[in-house]
Amino acid sequence: MTDNALQIEGLTAGLGDHQILKGIDLTVPFGEIHALMGPNGSGKSTLAHVLTGHEDYEAAGSALVDGVDILGMSVHERARSGLFHAFQYPVALPGISLEKLTNEMEDASEEGDVETRAIDAAERMRMEPFLDRFVNVGLSGGEKKRSEMYQLAVAAPTVAILDEIDSGLDVDAVRDVAEMVESMRNRQRGVLVITHYNRILRYMTVDRIHVLVDGRIVESGGPEVAERLEAEGYKTR
Amino acid sequence: MPSFDHDAVSAAGANDAPWRAATRSAAHDAYLATAMPDESEEIWRYIELGFDLDDYGPALEPGVPLDGDPLLEVSHPAVAGRLVDGYWVGDDVEAAGVTVGSLDRSSSTEPELVESVVTGAGLADRRDRFALAATAFGGDGAFVHIPKGTVAPGVIYLETQATKPGSTSFPRIVIAVDEGGEASIVVHFRSRQEDDLTVVPQIVAALGDNANLSVTVVQNWGYATRALGNTNVVVGRDAALRFAEIGLGGKLARLHLDVRLEGRGSSANIVGAYFGDKEQTLDYRYFMRHIGTNTRSDMFLKGAVEDEARSVFTGMIRIENSGQKTEAFQTNRNLILSDGASAQSVPNLEILANDVRCGHGSTLGPLDAGQRYYLMSRGIGEQQADRLQVHGFFEEALLKLPQPEIAGPVREWISNKFVAAQVAGRV
Ligand SMILES: Nc1ncnc2c1ncn2[C@@H]1O[C@H](COP(=O)(O)OP(=O)(O)OP(=O)(O)O)[C@@H](O)[C@H]1O
Ligand SMILES: [Mg+2]
Repeated sequence: MTDNALQIEGLTAGLGDHQILKGIDLTVPFGEIHALMGPNGSGKSTLAHVLTGHEDYEAAGSALVDGVDILGMSVHERARSGLFHAFQYPVALPGISLEKLTNEMEDASEEGDVETRAIDAAERMRMEPFLDRFVNVGLSGGEKKRSEMYQLAVAAPTVAILDEIDSGLDVDAVRDVAEMVESMRNRQRGVLVITHYNRILRYMTVDRIHVLVDGRIVESGGPEVAERLEAEGYKTR
Repeated sequence: MPSFDHDAVSAAGANDAPWRAATRSAAHDAYLATAMPDESEEIWRYIELGFDLDDYGPALEPGVPLDGDPLLEVSHPAVAGRLVDGYWVGDDVEAAGVTVGSLDRSSSTEPELVESVVTGAGLADRRDRFALAATAFGGDGAFVHIPKGTVAPGVIYLETQATKPGSTSFPRIVIAVDEGGEASIVVHFRSRQEDDLTVVPQIVAALGDNANLSVTVVQNWGYATRALGNTNVVVGRDAALRFAEIGLGGKLARLHLDVRLEGRGSSANIVGAYFGDKEQTLDYRYFMRHIGTNTRSDMFLKGAVEDEARSVFTGMIRIENSGQKTEAFQTNRNLILSDGASAQSVPNLEILANDVRCGHGSTLGPLDAGQRYYLMSRGIGEQQADRLQVHGFFEEALLKLPQPEIAGPVREWISNKFVAAQVAGRV
């Protein structure tokens, strides 16, 4: 095991000639939770998708998950290497129940305890009513986020990228989700929470906040960064 | 092999009740004067028949039955019977007031009832070479009678086999559900993969007032079988029809469905799932006629084609002047899995009444890249992700099957077809 769950260096990515990520260095050590903030359109979700392996983007640089560069891998290999991405816009899977999906995740995984985690998490997160329902079909915004969190708990990844897992959630749900993320902190994992809001950061201990503007990390610091952004916005920079 | 001549007409009609004998020779004359249909007729558009029925003489007696029907056991039928090359084999069965048995026998013992079902469902309107041949050369068949107020004690299972290479057989299933009766019927069409033969299956049903009938046809003909079927149903007041066809087999398999919602408050729920692979042609022509007021219909069909397969769905909802306060919907969604495969999806509405609610939707397209990506982001490999997507696609139809007990094998057969195409590198 290396020191860092996720280590991104010199990462650039774009669509054809249109460069969206313009050289990103970002490291999340094991045991830490980091936040990524930034204005709309700055490239936060693009970063998540480039790490996941979305075929639209051409990427260069390196992204190591526990020391292994995942950039050359196909999407499912990256997941099997320990990367999990909770989507900002989770995709509807008509005709595939959540239970079927987690069963398939179990079949695809080389570890033996996926099923146990699925059962535990279903109970803990009160997911029973959703297991028979089709994934992200007819779910409310908040329910989709819960479904993503549930899949995260089942995957128990080395690196978790949670893209706006707090958007669309009511006050109580934000606290629930934050506590869940906090409870997933451990020495075999690093978490990157992409968010626009300070609110979620109040319920968990964030080790570091990175600010992405126009495809570049312009600032990294402690919780005070989020406080200042909330007061002043991104424009003053 | 016999040919389509007078001797064959006489042989097929050896056990005819008088009402049936009368229709036979007229149909034979019409048959002789009718050519094979071709694409110039709207109802035969989009497909090429590419054969002549005259090359497949009528089956005038049952062949040696195929054994090992994989669907029989899972259906847990209360009553099971078998048609081989159109002929009822075995004894008639009676259970809890329900009779299932030979059409020939019933045509003589209950002539009015059988005649009224057969002639009342509009089958005589089908004047193409296949339907005429069925009337002229069809022998026996199956008759299911659910008397007034009787609820069939479980699934009625009718295995329908074609076994004679080079033949045309005419399996006919006639179903009478009298007032307030209820029945659930599973029909399994089978033939050997290698047997080059033709089948003209016909299902004719009449639902009395307040009757309930569910029929699921699992079409598993072999790859060398051509099937050109008709299903005609008349639905009485406040009666409910559920009909599903699962299209898996056949070199060419066609179903012309004609449902008449005659009684006020009657309804029809039609489900379909079909998967065409290799060079199959699967052809569905569905007609829904709203005649009574306050009638409701819903058609929901999902199909996939791969390699060089083609499929056709044309859906015609016709609401007569008398069909006020009608609701009618049709949905047909198609997955096109290979460049060489094609699907036609042609929904039509013909509305003569003014107070109605109608809708139709039809889509054609490949597997969804966004779903594949999301599934793969969960660690699932690309091929498995596509299998899951195909599973999900059909699940929306299979969950609506009237007999959930048969969904298991059906799901597996569909999945096997897709996996075989993946393994062969075609999708
Ligand atoms: N597939 C794509 N096609 C076209 N433009 C894209 C695509 N993906 C990203 N972009 C563009 O790249 C930029 C970054 O988008 P991205 O979704 O990463 O922003 P974001 O920081 O996540 O914003 P938000 O806070 O609104 O979610 C935007 O200008 C977006 O329009
Ligand atoms: Mg975003």
